[in-house]
Amino acid sequence: MAATELKKNEVYHDRVVTALVIFSVIWIIVGMSAGVYIAAELVWPTLDFGEQWLSFGRLRPLHTNVVIFGFGVSALMGTAFYSVQRTSHVPLYAPKLAWFCCFAWQICILLGGISLLAGWTSSKEYAELEWPFDIAITVVWVSFGIVFFGTIAKRKIKPIYISNWFYGGLIIVIAMIHIVNSLAIPVTLSKSYSVFAGAQDAIVQWWYGHNAVGFLLTGGFLGMMYYFLPKQAERPIWSYRLSIVAFWAFTYSYIWAGPHHLIYSSIPDWVQSLAMVMSIVLLAPSWATMINGIMTVSGASQKLKTDPALKFIVLSLAFYGLATFEGSMMAIKSVNVVSHFTDWTVGHVHSGALGWNAMITYGTYYFLVPRLFGTTLYSVKLANIHFWLALAGTMLYVLAMWGAGVSQGLLWLSLDEIGELSFSFKDIMASMPPYYALRLVAGLIFLTGTVLMAFNFYMTMKGRRTVQVRPPIVTSHWA
Amino acid sequence: MKTVISSWLLLRLLFRPAAVFEELADTQPEPHIIFFRYFVWLSIVPPVFAYIGASNFGWRLGAAEPLFVPAGDLMIISMAYFFVLLFGFVSTAIIAQWMASTYGARHSLGVHFALVTIIAAPLVVGSVMHLFPHVFLNVLVLIPTLIWSMYLLYKGLPIVLKITPERGMLMASALIGYLLVAAVSLLGLTVALWGRGIGPSIGV
Repeated sequence: MAATELKKNEVYHDRVVTALVIFSVIWIIVGMSAGVYIAAELVWPTLDFGEQWLSFGRLRPLHTNVVIFGFGVSALMGTAFYSVQRTSHVPLYAPKLAWFCCFAWQICILLGGISLLAGWTSSKEYAELEWPFDIAITVVWVSFGIVFFGTIAKRKIKPIYISNWFYGGLIIVIAMIHIVNSLAIPVTLSKSYSVFAGAQDAIVQWWYGHNAVGFLLTGGFLGMMYYFLPKQAERPIWSYRLSIVAFWAFTYSYIWAGPHHLIYSSIPDWVQSLAMVMSIVLLAPSWATMINGIMTVSGASQKLKTDPALKFIVLSLAFYGLATFEGSMMAIKSVNVVSHFTDWTVGHVHSGALGWNAMITYGTYYFLVPRLFGTTLYSVKLANIHFWLALAGTMLYVLAMWGAGVSQGLLWLSLDEIGELSFSFKDIMASMPPYYALRLVAGLIFLTGTVLMAFNFYMTMKGRRTVQVRPPIVTSHWA
Repeated sequence: MKTVISSWLLLRLLFRPAAVFEELADTQPEPHIIFFRYFVWLSIVPPVFAYIGASNFGWRLGAAEPLFVPAGDLMIISMAYFFVLLFGFVSTAIIAQWMASTYGARHSLGVHFALVTIIAAPLVVGSVMHLFPHVFLNVLVLIPTLIWSMYLLYKGLPIVLKITPERGMLMASALIGYLLVAAVSLLGLTVALWGRGIGPSIGV
């Protein structure tokens, strides 16, 4: 930049973006390492050494919370702050509040993770953190909303670009479901009881759980895709109209699908059927977005020569297509009856988490990090190696869990000639370690790639500062 | 342009794939010839192996006892397997042909039939493991064969369809997306059929 420092209110606030990117990379390594460790525990159960905090029951929520909220939310916050400034042509509204969001969120994850290891839990999946954290998360989340929508409110371009609709949907819906699902009566500092009971509790929990998948892991990351994919491909979105239609169809249909986690449970049958139907309907907007992404990138093949980032995005779209289709299919009652409670579900989640969420973020970061520091990537070769490790790790993981999951589903339900269950649960589970070992190898391969990426970023950033970028002057008829 | 591929295509593509790709790039084969001379025969192999394996050794899913399915059901399942493979083959080739216009690739259906045959060949070789239907061993063997198939797809597609390697990478990834969805559909369809009483006896 120029010798004289630009005034703070004249440039984009990108240092907070850099901080969030760095934190998210740290969290993904921590979270995945915890995942690899519990994968190893499933092969060698004595790896917990009799320590409660090392047990599967405590490390598993640590793994999911750190990956989804530590890595996922930090990445979404960072990319939202980056893209909302560029699509609004103004610096962030309330930049100090943005810094508050950044650090307060990291403290929530750090202390929250420690509390999980200490055994504090609400026992709600993906919402295990106890009430003090729920309140802290709400405060940070509302601050995130103020910064984001404040920036949009003072934008210099009239239309609100599609990525901002998805990020906005993320902020509003997560606030709604987090607050409702976390309503509880505190008893002590570390224990509270949900205000919902029985079947209602289950329905509220999965309304939360599934829409966290929907609006955070799908919608939020779609926001990331809609900004960074066209930037990388240097082409506009293939069909902007389709992206708008898909956004509203997605928002409308996702919110109904939660009870498909409770098929053949004690909730009303019509609620299960409704969730199943809406899950199938959901395929249309999910795939509309996939097609939009694939068509956008299809004309940008010349970029693949020089840009390792685009490869990750292309492949993430393939896995996004797989995971959304698989999810709708597994919501069908006659498939769910076999697949539910098996490792097939775990494989499905990871084809989304590794194949879609991690890969789209890695692709985005390989584009973003060199730009934030006004330089080129330290090693394109390392990034290419990372790509093949990520692909191999994901495929191996998914195949191992398909094998394990379908075997479990079949054996658990298998009947002998007189109509009794053929196999005991214990015997079936005792035959699973070979698959779990394969999954452990898959996780290690994926983690290795991620560590290579972290090293690559460290070398790219070393000795440099985030560059200052001034918003362009808006003169077009859009202003 | 030639319309006939020289014989021993399958054998050569397993050992010298690059030569086969080069030859196909200059050939415009008829789709029905590829289908009847090569693919139908390839598709018979895995179901036959699966039938022989399951009737002699039972499905070994890891639990103590192998799972034996009645011979009649086994025959239906093997036939279904055969038709699913044929459907997968034709649909993949047609989808590849449909994608070709987006990526500026060759449009002849025969070429796409030949390409899919090439990709499928290692999997057919790997299906020899079906003779002993231990699920984990099958997964173990099918993983390297899948990698081999994917290598042939990424390597061969741009040569055979005469597009740049970068475009080939994009088109191959789009096809992988379709194939992943097809694979998971097959899983879903299979378990849904079990629930309807076709296949092993399960308590649904």
